[in-house]
Amino acid sequence: MHSTRRSVSLIAGTVLLGLLAVLIAGAHWISPYDPVQQHAAERLEKPSAQHPFGTDRFGRDLLARTLHGGQITLLSAMAALSGALAIGLAVGLAAGMFHNSLLDRLFMRMIDVLLAFPFMVLAMVVAALFGTSLFHLLLAVIAVGWVTFARLARSVVLQARNETSFAAARVLGASNRTLILRELAPKALSPVLILATFELGSLILSIAALSFLGLGAQPPTPEWGSMLADGREYVLQSPHIMFGPALFIMLSVLAFNLIGEGLRDRLDPYEKPQL
Amino acid sequence: MHAASEAILIVEQLQVSYRSKEQARPILHGLNLTLHQGETVCLLGESGSGKSTLAKAITGLLPPSAQVGSGSLALAGGIAVDLADDNGSGSIPWQRIRGTELALLFQDARQALNPVMTIGQHFKETLLDHRKAKPDEVESISCRLLRKLGFTDPLVLLSSYPFQLSGGMCQRICLAIALCLEPKVLIADEPTSALDTVSQREVLSLIRAMQLDLGLTVLLITHDLAVARAVSDRVIVLDQGRLVEQGSVQRVFSQPKALFTRQLLAYRSQVSAPAKLRSTRKSSACLLEVRRLHKSYDANQPIVRDASLTLDEQEIVGVLGQSGCGKSTLARCIAGLETPNAGSILLRGTDISGLQGKARREICRRIQMVFQDARASLHPGRTAQQLVQEPLQYLRIGNKQERIALASHYLQEVGIEGEAQYRKPPQLSTGQCQRIAIARALVLKPEVLICDEAVSALDVRIQAQILKLLKRLHKQYRFSILMISHDVSVLRSFCHHIAVMSDGRFQEGKQASVRLHESSQPHTQLLLRCAGDLEEVRI
Amino acid sequence: MAVLLRKLMEALLTLICATVILFMLIRLAPGDPAVLLLGQPSEVAAMHTEVYEQKAAELREQWGLDQPMAIQYVSWLGRLVQLDLGTSLHTGRAVSAELAERLPATLQLTAAALAVQLLLGFWLGIVSALKAGTFSDQLIRLACVTLASTPAFVTGLCALLLFAVTLGAYEISSEASWSRLWLPALTMGLASMPQFARMVRANMLAELGQTYVLAALSRGLARRRVIGQASRNALLPLVTVTALSAATFASGAVVIESLFAWPGIGKYALDSILRKDYPVIQGYAFVMVTLVILIHLCVDVLYAYIDPRLQRKRRQVTRGVNEHA
Repeated sequence: MHSTRRSVSLIAGTVLLGLLAVLIAGAHWISPYDPVQQHAAERLEKPSAQHPFGTDRFGRDLLARTLHGGQITLLSAMAALSGALAIGLAVGLAAGMFHNSLLDRLFMRMIDVLLAFPFMVLAMVVAALFGTSLFHLLLAVIAVGWVTFARLARSVVLQARNETSFAAARVLGASNRTLILRELAPKALSPVLILATFELGSLILSIAALSFLGLGAQPPTPEWGSMLADGREYVLQSPHIMFGPALFIMLSVLAFNLIGEGLRDRLDPYEKPQL
Repeated sequence: MHAASEAILIVEQLQVSYRSKEQARPILHGLNLTLHQGETVCLLGESGSGKSTLAKAITGLLPPSAQVGSGSLALAGGIAVDLADDNGSGSIPWQRIRGTELALLFQDARQALNPVMTIGQHFKETLLDHRKAKPDEVESISCRLLRKLGFTDPLVLLSSYPFQLSGGMCQRICLAIALCLEPKVLIADEPTSALDTVSQREVLSLIRAMQLDLGLTVLLITHDLAVARAVSDRVIVLDQGRLVEQGSVQRVFSQPKALFTRQLLAYRSQVSAPAKLRSTRKSSACLLEVRRLHKSYDANQPIVRDASLTLDEQEIVGVLGQSGCGKSTLARCIAGLETPNAGSILLRGTDISGLQGKARREICRRIQMVFQDARASLHPGRTAQQLVQEPLQYLRIGNKQERIALASHYLQEVGIEGEAQYRKPPQLSTGQCQRIAIARALVLKPEVLICDEAVSALDVRIQAQILKLLKRLHKQYRFSILMISHDVSVLRSFCHHIAVMSDGRFQEGKQASVRLHESSQPHTQLLLRCAGDLEEVRI
Repeated sequence: MAVLLRKLMEALLTLICATVILFMLIRLAPGDPAVLLLGQPSEVAAMHTEVYEQKAAELREQWGLDQPMAIQYVSWLGRLVQLDLGTSLHTGRAVSAELAERLPATLQLTAAALAVQLLLGFWLGIVSALKAGTFSDQLIRLACVTLASTPAFVTGLCALLLFAVTLGAYEISSEASWSRLWLPALTMGLASMPQFARMVRANMLAELGQTYVLAALSRGLARRRVIGQASRNALLPLVTVTALSAATFASGAVVIESLFAWPGIGKYALDSILRKDYPVIQGYAFVMVTLVILIHLCVDVLYAYIDPRLQRKRRQVTRGVNEHA
């Protein structure tokens, strides 16, 4: 019973993600409209056969904008996440491998300090001082995002170092490099990747939220959060303009969360007693 | 002893299987079992024989993946339940049976106590939940029981947490908590397997004393022949979910009927037979010398202090000690896994204790180690071939063909042949995993092989096979062995010399294993007495 | 006591490091810091160029902007210690006063949202774990995953649309009153609840798999009591998570505050960004970082009291045991 449900959430997530990827990659073919071109005559139109998601206050086709926006949102989220993942994994492995060394303590201190910066606060400071742009936002994401991965990787490594297989490899003459690459990294990788799928979801949410506040992508770039921000003043009269970007944000985050849940169940099988 | 008295627990036609993926794996095949008032029955079987499943099935504690096909349980006082009803229906009044009728002891007693509750709280909730006592009586009842179980200062104990207590103490406390409800039957599931010889004896004699004192009926589940022999009135032998033999303890041990029991006894006597080894020649040179070694993680609690030991060429030396005496830390220091705080380790006269990096790794060619949990020491995703090639790759020995050839050769030497060389640890038995671990150590042609409790976790049958294998390899490849163990009988049958370790140090030097019993050291005497009691004398 | 002192020192060190980062960020920002802090000449309309220049020079001298970075940092830190966070460019009032005025509203919202998250998340997590693998478990998990995938501002907009526009049950204004609290608190709590519920479920399942649960059952203890014990142990490690979420909460409140026009410091900071009111942003960041470090410190201290296993100083009990029974 467990095994079937496990695969359901994994399969559902993967299919959903594939579908979204196809739609977003094929934006040009699916919606013929230019996402930035304004049409004063077609402002705030309700959904119709011509414009399935309707149009916004500048008469731009919302389907086209949503699909094109997906490219920017998803790609930027993935880019930022890969950066954070790479840094986090490297730091976590090094700190765990050389536990209690000067390097480890330095990294832990850094992590403590960065943990004191809530992501939102840092993003706001960066936006205020360096100007609002998606690029600055992504830098802020990487600057604090790696901490989560580093902490997880480090704790996994510290655990793995106490396992017999690690001691066995050392006795058999493995060098530090071999130990990290063959014994520790593979063990740290799967929990870190699972965390990464969840983080990707929440990252999309954060980027959208910041853009919604006007601190991320700037108009006229089509981006989900800023599209929502754009329609904010009009939302009470014509709520349909929210529908497209909101749906796509939800679906893409849902896809990553489902994949994460499926993978996590596979990694931590549980057995509880009959109570 | 009480064979004629009334039956107090009857299990009939118990069938249990585990579901995994699509298939069901049967564990128990229609088992019948009767316990009589006041007797101690030993359920003897190897790991995987289904003996723990039996204990869980009759207390209704099977995990959801287990399915009871059929089975009934009848207890004194007219309680009869159909165990097959237990699959999720919740119709069995377990709360009335557990604790008051059947009490259960677990293998790892510390895990069986809630880590954030004091011992006193455990007593309190157990007594109050069953309305066995009023709140103000709890303390006096628990103190009385704890005193009975040999604790002289029970009040301190009541306010302490499980993590502050040793494994043996936790097991005695679990026994006290179980007894406070005055159960009719005590089911003890490997209660002493995780303990060292001395605590093992303590717990067993307490169970025995309580049984005689309170007229308790005990079902003792164990894989250890010595334990069964020491405490039981009747023995039931279980093999792969089937009852193969039962009878009085004298009869089963002196005239075993079933082939399986006969094999089991033969292996045991093989393992514990006194050594017929002659001490190594006087002329042989000293290979490894540990000089005044000191290791501590916390300055107040040194693990190893001032330990000195020598190992000659081709010699087999045993290090005997209880858990926590520092013997494993000593082994890890010699193998280079830990850096000692003081003292030296001389390999053919050269100090290797402080080496780092490349120089340290070169020592790996000369000193190798086999661990207690072989399966955990092998990467589950690699084949036996790859695993044995690993050290050759790490130390850049030979080219690819040579490595494969070497690995095959050593795998054959340890009896892993043909297609089995391309299987991965999850598809191999525990014994096979230990063989691979040995091959992996020997492929580097070491001068010293450290065996850290290398056979302790194995069933007696596999234990005998591995020891035989080690003896053969020792003769053929002429390395020295440092055997770390808590098991006197294994060491006596296997080693030329034995050194006894306690509290981080050797009280006296190594001595010929045949003369160990002549030692005047009180600790050595204690270890021997406890082990000896379990071997021959009934508790 | 020594542990407490060490934790305190560590927290202080972290705070100092954090202020260094903040300081560097401000100095690394493009442009003249004096101009940043005073506002662009074009935007300070009421001021003549000469007066502006004079003011800027005064500021440069007062803040020692021509001195080495280290000295600048120390004097900046000195002002921070005196809670002098500068003056708002927009209102001309002290930033500390402005923030202090708005902090209660944010704390009120955060506490209410946290309560929603904890109560709902705990309940759903435990139920889901106890019924693991059944239909209700899957339903709860599906609901949680869906909720976790919905941006808080979308939930918020929908809630506003439903309660304020369609039903007219919620008053849109910019006041922080108890009658206006429930909707933003609910929105915020619901957004963070799924993650908490998921952790409760995972921890609870792990606890239920422990031997002590089996042992408690084997003693015939009531099911409710056993579940109670397990859930207590499952919740212990979540103290940290909860505190951390409280910290991110207070900062994440920006979105909700701006959406519901809740007059907290998040909304104020956001408005200040759009107004380019740098002293306010800087003050806001400092306050938030200090708040987070304080919360972490509290958690560390609290932990030592909740979990007996962490009270390292307790000695091993060896008395009360005679040598051999």
